[in-house]
Amino acid sequence: MLKVLGQFRHRRFRRDLSAYLDGVLPQRARRRLETHLDSCQACCQELAELRVTVEALGSLPMAEVPRSFALAAAPVAEVRPRPAARRLEFGLRLATATAAFALTLVMIGDLAGLPGGGEKEMPAPLAPAAEETPAAAMEAAPVETPAAEETPPAIEAAPVETPAAAMEAAPVETPAAMQAPPVETPAADETPAELAAPPVETPVAAPPGITETQREEPPTGGGVPEEQPPEEKVTEGAGVEEEVQAYAADRQAAIEEEGGGLSRGEAVRWLEIGLGAGVGILVVLWAFARLRTSIRS
Amino acid sequence: MVIADEAQLVRSSQRGDLGAFNTLVQVYQRQVYNLCLRMVGSAAAEDAAQETFITAYRRLSSFRGGSFRAWLLRIAANICCDELRHRRSRPAASLEAALEAGSPADVPSPLANPEEEALRRELGRHLQQGLATLPAEQRLAIILRDIHGLSYEELTEALGCSLGTVKSRIARGRAKMREYLMARRELLPRQFRLEQ
Repeated sequence: MLKVLGQFRHRRFRRDLSAYLDGVLPQRARRRLETHLDSCQACCQELAELRVTVEALGSLPMAEVPRSFALAAAPVAEVRPRPAARRLEFGLRLATATAAFALTLVMIGDLAGLPGGGEKEMPAPLAPAAEETPAAAMEAAPVETPAAEETPPAIEAAPVETPAAAMEAAPVETPAAMQAPPVETPAADETPAELAAPPVETPVAAPPGITETQREEPPTGGGVPEEQPPEEKVTEGAGVEEEVQAYAADRQAAIEEEGGGLSRGEAVRWLEIGLGAGVGILVVLWAFARLRTSIRS
Repeated sequence: MVIADEAQLVRSSQRGDLGAFNTLVQVYQRQVYNLCLRMVGSAAAEDAAQETFITAYRRLSSFRGGSFRAWLLRIAANICCDELRHRRSRPAASLEAALEAGSPADVPSPLANPEEEALRRELGRHLQQGLATLPAEQRLAIILRDIHGLSYEELTEALGCSLGTVKSRIARGRAKMREYLMARRELLPRQFRLEQ
């Protein structure tokens, strides 16, 4: 264990040699490296070789220009869109981003099974099973639409409200829904405890959809950061933690410096990319969840 | 090299004063040309340098202060990277071949005697070949830092990335160059040989 830790440290010190040579290593890291150099012959050798490499590169002469690059005439300046056009473009892009965000919310709501939006809004659910499958219930809500062909929604929706009404509605709809009443009627007539039992299978379709969404979401923003230097990834022993924190703070400062210059247009662009990726993933998940539900039914 | 009234010259250039811009061109053309020379080779360096100044003039309005040299070198770096990308899409013209054809290592030094000149050329050739093995972004960082002597602050502007990324690119590039040179240490001039 100590040997592995030692190797980690050695590797990290080796990476610091270049910055040390240029005098840009933070003070604390520099002191640590100097202490390490006192006892590590390999690092001393590498530092010397690195110094020679830098000196050799510095010794390369600069070539003379073959001719003057002065401009004989002013080139035509770049045509940039007028401010009004740029504002319009910005507004349109923002609208796109907002629309994508709204679509994302709707899909999350659909996958998570949040109630609302349908004509038949669910009252306080009678059984926990019904509570777990509002997504399916939502599908059943637009009774007149062919979506009601899916049998499980009909099974669940009916017991919650009025079984009789469900029975009346179902036969009118489709042959698929006609198959449902024989299953639900006895359940409705008997006990509410049994009502809760049959839908237990259907919730299985919903939770995986939800968990997948939660699992899939983080990578949508993951594409945004740029190149990360490998220094940050190294987590060493407790002794090095301070050093790592100091470096991380240094890095954070650099990132903040960079972020300060982030223009409005760039921010919207990243927003669009993030939302676009999110919507894409959600559409796939949503289609998958629908497919599974229809297969089960 | 920084000229005292650089800011004034930049402002005049932004107002459309071509004479002021050409003064800036005279100051920085050697650095721009040398960067292009080491990135894309002598065959394409001239065109890349000229394109850099044309692009710079067109985009003067986007210069918001800071180091003009870094801003200019960033434009040159982007043009060189575009050229390298373009070459990669045409396999017939390989980068190494282009770099070695008109090797900038053959730059004559007026002060050196013939023996020193030969050694220096030899070293220059090795360094150029070593640089050609690096990925473009590491090569760019090494050239700007170790040959052009840009500070880390200027490098962040010229490379358009964070300080951490700059340090990382330089460290990796130098490590590869060290390995390359130390594998050929017997070919190095005496002052660059280390005792084992």
